[in-house]
Amino acid sequence: MKPVDFAYERPTSLAAALDLLARDDCAVRVMAGAQSLGPMLNLRLAQPDLVVDITAIAELTSVRREKQALAVGACVTHARLEDGAARDRTGEVLAAIAGGIAYRAVRNRGTIGGSLAHADPSADWVVCAAALGAELLLASKAGQRTVAAAEFMVGPFETALQPGEVLVEVRLPWLSERARWGYCKFCRKAGEFAQASAAVLCDPARDVQRCVIGATSGCPVVIDDPQFMREGGRSERVTELLSATPLGDDPFAVRTHAVVLRRALERAGL
Amino acid sequence: MQGTGVGARVRRKEDDRLLRGRGRFVADIALVGMRELAFVRSPVAHARLRGFEIPDAVRHAVFTWADLAQDGVKPIRAASGLPGFKVSEQPAMASDKVRFVGEPIAVCVADSRAEAEDIAALVSAEFDELPVNVDMLAACEAGASRVHEHWKDNVFLETSVGTPFPAVAAAAPVKVCRTIRTARQCILPLEGKGVVASWDRQTEQLVLQTATQMPHIVRSGLSECLGVPQDAIRVIAPDVGGGFGWKGLLQPEEVVAAWLAMRMDQPVRWIEDRREHLVAAANAREHHYEVTAYADARGKLLGVEATAHVDAGAYSIYPFSACLEAAQVGSILPGPYEFSHYHCRTYSVCTNKPPIVPYRGVARPNVCFVIEQLIDGIAQAVGRESWEVRVENLVPPGKMPFDNITGKHFDSGDYPESVRRAVAGIDLAGVRARQRQNEPDGRLIGVGLATYCEQGAHGTAVYHGWGIPMVPGHEQAQARITPDGGLELRVGVQSHGQGMETTFAQVAHEVLGIPLERIRLIHGDTGLTPYSTGTWGSRSMVMAGGAVATSCRILAQRLRRIGAHLLQASPEDSVLAGGCVRSGGAEVSIAEIAHTWYRAPQLLPLDVDPAGLEVTGGHKPKSDHGTFSYATHAAVVAVDPELGLVDIIDYLVVEDAGTMVNPMIVEGQIHGGVAQGIGTGLYECSPYDNEGQPLASTFMDYLVPGFTEVPHIRVEHMHTPSPYTEFGMKGIGEGGAIAPAAALCNAINDALRPLGAIVSDAPITPRRILAAIEAAGATR
Amino acid sequence: MNAAPSNARSVSLTVNGRRLVGVTTPRTHLADFLREQQRLTGTHLGCEHGVCGACTVLLDGEPVRSCITYAVACEGRSVTTVEGLADDEIGAALREAFSAAHGLQCGFCTPGMLISAWDLVRRLPDADDARIRLEMSGNLCRCTGYVGIVEAIRRVLDDRKGHR
Repeated sequence: MKPVDFAYERPTSLAAALDLLARDDCAVRVMAGAQSLGPMLNLRLAQPDLVVDITAIAELTSVRREKQALAVGACVTHARLEDGAARDRTGEVLAAIAGGIAYRAVRNRGTIGGSLAHADPSADWVVCAAALGAELLLASKAGQRTVAAAEFMVGPFETALQPGEVLVEVRLPWLSERARWGYCKFCRKAGEFAQASAAVLCDPARDVQRCVIGATSGCPVVIDDPQFMREGGRSERVTELLSATPLGDDPFAVRTHAVVLRRALERAGL
Repeated sequence: MQGTGVGARVRRKEDDRLLRGRGRFVADIALVGMRELAFVRSPVAHARLRGFEIPDAVRHAVFTWADLAQDGVKPIRAASGLPGFKVSEQPAMASDKVRFVGEPIAVCVADSRAEAEDIAALVSAEFDELPVNVDMLAACEAGASRVHEHWKDNVFLETSVGTPFPAVAAAAPVKVCRTIRTARQCILPLEGKGVVASWDRQTEQLVLQTATQMPHIVRSGLSECLGVPQDAIRVIAPDVGGGFGWKGLLQPEEVVAAWLAMRMDQPVRWIEDRREHLVAAANAREHHYEVTAYADARGKLLGVEATAHVDAGAYSIYPFSACLEAAQVGSILPGPYEFSHYHCRTYSVCTNKPPIVPYRGVARPNVCFVIEQLIDGIAQAVGRESWEVRVENLVPPGKMPFDNITGKHFDSGDYPESVRRAVAGIDLAGVRARQRQNEPDGRLIGVGLATYCEQGAHGTAVYHGWGIPMVPGHEQAQARITPDGGLELRVGVQSHGQGMETTFAQVAHEVLGIPLERIRLIHGDTGLTPYSTGTWGSRSMVMAGGAVATSCRILAQRLRRIGAHLLQASPEDSVLAGGCVRSGGAEVSIAEIAHTWYRAPQLLPLDVDPAGLEVTGGHKPKSDHGTFSYATHAAVVAVDPELGLVDIIDYLVVEDAGTMVNPMIVEGQIHGGVAQGIGTGLYECSPYDNEGQPLASTFMDYLVPGFTEVPHIRVEHMHTPSPYTEFGMKGIGEGGAIAPAAALCNAINDALRPLGAIVSDAPITPRRILAAIEAAGATR
Repeated sequence: MNAAPSNARSVSLTVNGRRLVGVTTPRTHLADFLREQQRLTGTHLGCEHGVCGACTVLLDGEPVRSCITYAVACEGRSVTTVEGLADDEIGAALREAFSAAHGLQCGFCTPGMLISAWDLVRRLPDADDARIRLEMSGNLCRCTGYVGIVEAIRRVLDDRKGHR
C-alpha cells in the first residue's frame, strides 16, 4: 500500500506555491496536514505527479484577531484550535469542534483548511464552518476571492476551488457572548466520521439563526429559517430537505439526521 | 499463590523487548539482496481468466501460475475424509479461473514494495465474467453458477446429526423459532500476514520466516505443493503480532514466495497490507440458521432442530478444510445444555468470496449466539427469568463427567453455579429495579446472559474423524539443562501473544525449581523444535505445557540420580526442591550437577543414564476428547432508541479454566476475547455487493472495537481442575470471544422488550435496532 | 507513473536525538523511512491509512501517524520513536506499568500505544479512566481488550500525582 512516485515541493511563500499550482503540465495536489490525502496516496486513490506542501508558508499557519472575524490560516492544525486559539466564545466553540475530530495524533497534523478543501461530506469543519458563517479566502495567480463556507462545497469531495487555486484562510465571524451553539454527530466509534451530523447557531445580536445538516453524502444542507429553528427542526421538514440529497431514499438516514438535528438544538439550549 | 510456579501471577518474560521496540516481527527482517513482492489480485469475483497483458519492460519481474506450474508446483488441496466432501484445488495464483475478488493472479518482484506495486499497476488481465455467487443460500439453489464447475452443486459438504423428532415437536408446549444470520468478519490481528523466503546455501534448505501459528504444518503443506522433501524446508515463526486463526493455515502467498526464492535464488519478502487483509483473505464467521427449540411449560428443553449454512468461500483451506466450521456447528449447537432430542443439518457452501478461516472460537460464537437467543426466547415464552431457564437446562455438576447428545465428553465443572454467580455479580435485581424507572436520557436499560462451554485441546480422538490433513497426536517438548544450570525448552507450538515464554517457564519451574529468568523457551521453528500441529484450538498450554511437565519430570529423575551420587546418598533418600538436590542436611545445586555432567564427567556415577540432561518428553491427556472450560457472561447495556446506539455499561465474566498457570494471562486472554466478541456482536461486518465486490476495504468501513467501545471487563474465576490434564489445566484461549455477541443480543432484546422489538442478526447495528423498533411499531 | 526513484532527495532531521541526513523519495512515508532506512523497526505498520495508531511516533514532541506523514515533510524536525524512549522517565514508568498491568500481549500495537500514552501523561495529568479511553481511542489493539492498557496508564498518572 504505497503511493505512486511523485515530485514534492515545499515552498515558503504563497507566491511560489501559486506558481507551482499554476503548472498545467502535470497533475498537482496541494498537501497540508496530509491526514486525508495521505491515506488516499497510500491507497493510490490519488496519483499526483507533483505534491505541493503548503505548510511552510508562514501566513497560512497564523491565527489573527481582526475586527470582524477570527482569521485562521488554512494550515492551522485541529490540535492548535483544540488547545485554544482564542480565549473567548468563538475560541471555545472552535476548541470543542476541533477536539472532537478523529484522534489527537491526527489533530496534530490535520488542518482546518485541508479538511475543508478535502470536502468529505461527513467531516466536522464542512458542517461547522457553514453553520458558523465562515468566509473562505481563496488565492490563485489571478488574485484572491472569498466564498461563503456554505457555498464552498459543491459535491462530495468537490469544492469551488478552481485549478491553480488554494484555500489560504478561514475567516470566522466573532460570536456574540449570547450566541448559542449546538453540534451533534452520530458516530458508532469515537473519532469516526459521522453517519449523521448537525450544527446550529443562534446569534440574535447578529441576526443569525442557522441550522446545518451534515453527513448527507453530498453538500451540507443549510437552513436559515427562524421558524424551522423554533419548531425544533420538525422531522417532516428534515425529510423534505434530505430528499434532495443522496440519502433521501434511506429512512434510517433521514430518521437519524432528524434526531441529531434535534439534539444539536437541545445542546444549544433551543 | 506465592512463588513463580503454576498458579502464580507473574509478569511476562517477553514484555521487556516488546516494550522497547526490540521484538522481531516478520516485516522487521531484512536480508542482504532481498526483493519485495506485490501481488496482482483479481478485480472480479467470478470469471474465466483469458490471459495477461504484461508490458515487455517489466515482463522479467512478473510471474503467473503458468510459471509455477511449469516447475511442477501443485495447487493447495485440503480434503476431508467425511463422506461426500467435494475437493477444491486452489492454485497459489489463479490458473484458468478466478473465484473471488482479491484472489492472487500474478506476482511482481522489485527492490522495494512501492516499485513492486508500480509494476503490478502495469499488469492487466482479460476476464470472461461469470454469474457470481454472493449469498450462500442462493448459491445452494438449482441453477446457481458453479464455483467449481466439475461439482454438481456449490456445497462442499452436507452433514446431518441426530434424527427428526416430529411427535415430541408436535406435542411440545413451547416452541421458539428463529432465523439468524451472522456476518462475514475479518480476523484482524494488528500485524497482518507476512513471509520472508530464502535459500540457505549451507544447509541447502528453503527457509521460510513467516508470521504463522503452525510452522510444522506450513512445512508439510509447502512440501506437498512444491514437491520438496520436508527435511529441505525450514519454517521459522519470528515474533508474531497476533493470529486468532488467521495465521493457522498455509497461504497461497507463502507458496509463491517459497517458489520465487528458489527460482530466483534471492531472498524475497511479502508483507500483507491492511487492504489485502480486509479484501482478499482472513474472512470468518458467516453463518445462517433456521432453528427451533422445543420446551415444556417450565422451560425445560425437549429438543432442538436446526438447519445451518456456513459460507465457506471459494476454496478449502489447508489444513482445516472448508467443512470444519459447518460440521462443528452440528456437533456443538447443543452448547452446555442437557436435552434428549436433536436434529441438525449443516451445509458448507462454496461462494465467490475468500475462503473462511477458523477464527477464535471457530463456530462457537455463532452457535452460542443462536442457542442463547433460544434460551431467552423460551424464558420469555414461559414467563421466567432467563437465568432460571439456563440453570434448569445446564448439565448439573453431579452428572460430570457427562457425555452430551452429540457425544461431547464434558470433563468437569459446575455450569449452573457460573450462572448464579453471574446473576449476583451483575446485580440482576438492581438492574430490574433500575428498569422500572425511566432513564433521564431516554435510553433503555437491558441485561443479558450467555453461557457456553469451550472444547479446547482436542486430540486424536476428535480430529481423526474429520479426515483433514492434520490430526494432533502426542505433543512433545524438549528440555535441556545448560552447562551452567539454566534450562532450555523447545516446543513446536508458537506463542503470538499468549505469553508462553513465561507460562511454560512457570510449569518447568514448578517441577525443577529453576528460576524463571534462567529458563528460555525456543518455539515456532521446525529446525529447532519437536513436531507439533501448532497453536490453535486453545491447546498449547494443555498439550505442550503438559509435555514440558513430562520432560522436566524425567530431567528431575536424572538430576536426582546424579545429585544423590555427588551427595553420597541414595536417589530414594534425595529430593529435588528449590533448584537443588537435597539429602539429609546436604545439598547440591542443579548448576553443580550440570557442571558435573558436561564438564566433570569423571565424577558421575558409573551407572548414569547416558542420555544426559536433555530430554524429549511426550504428552497426551488421559482423555483427549478435549478440556471443557466454561463461563457465563453477563452484560448490561443502555440502548438509545432514537439512534440505535448501544453502550455497554457493565460486563462480567464468570469463568472456570480449571487450574490457571498464570491468572494474569488467563484474564488477558478473556479480556481480549471479549473485545473481539463485542466486535462480532455490535460492529464487525464485511459486506459484499451483488457483483461480489467487498465493500469494507479500509478501517474507515470495517469497524474494530476500540478503547471507547470496549468497557471495563470484570472477571471472576471458578476453579474446577480437569481430571485428565497436567495440574488440571483447561484450554481458555478462545473462550472470551464466544459469548459476548449472545450476551449483548439478549441484553439488547431485554432493553427493547417494552417496545416489543427483537433483533437476532449480528452485528446488531443501529440500523438493525431502529428497523426492529420500526417493525414492532408497525405490528402494534 | 514512474517506477524509478526519479524524485530522490535528501532530508535532514533528528531521530531519537541523533541528527542525520537521509536520501529518500517523496512517496516514502516516515514509518518506512525509519524502518527500512534507519532500521528502527520498533515503529510498526498496522494499517498504513492512519487509523490503527500502531505507527504513532513523536514529531517535535507531539504524536503523529508516521504512515501518513512523509519523510520529506519532516525536514529539520525531531522524531522520537519507541526506541527513543529508552532513557525517558515517562517511558520507563509506562513500560513498568504496562508489564505489571498486562497491557500488552503480542506487542505489535505496543509502540504506538506507548507513544500515545506518553503524550497523554504529559498533556492530561488529571485524566480519569473515561478520558484515558477517549484520548487513546486512536490506537487499536486486538489482543488485550484494552483493560490492562487503561489500568497501566492510570497507574502512571496516579503515581505522578503522588509526586506532584
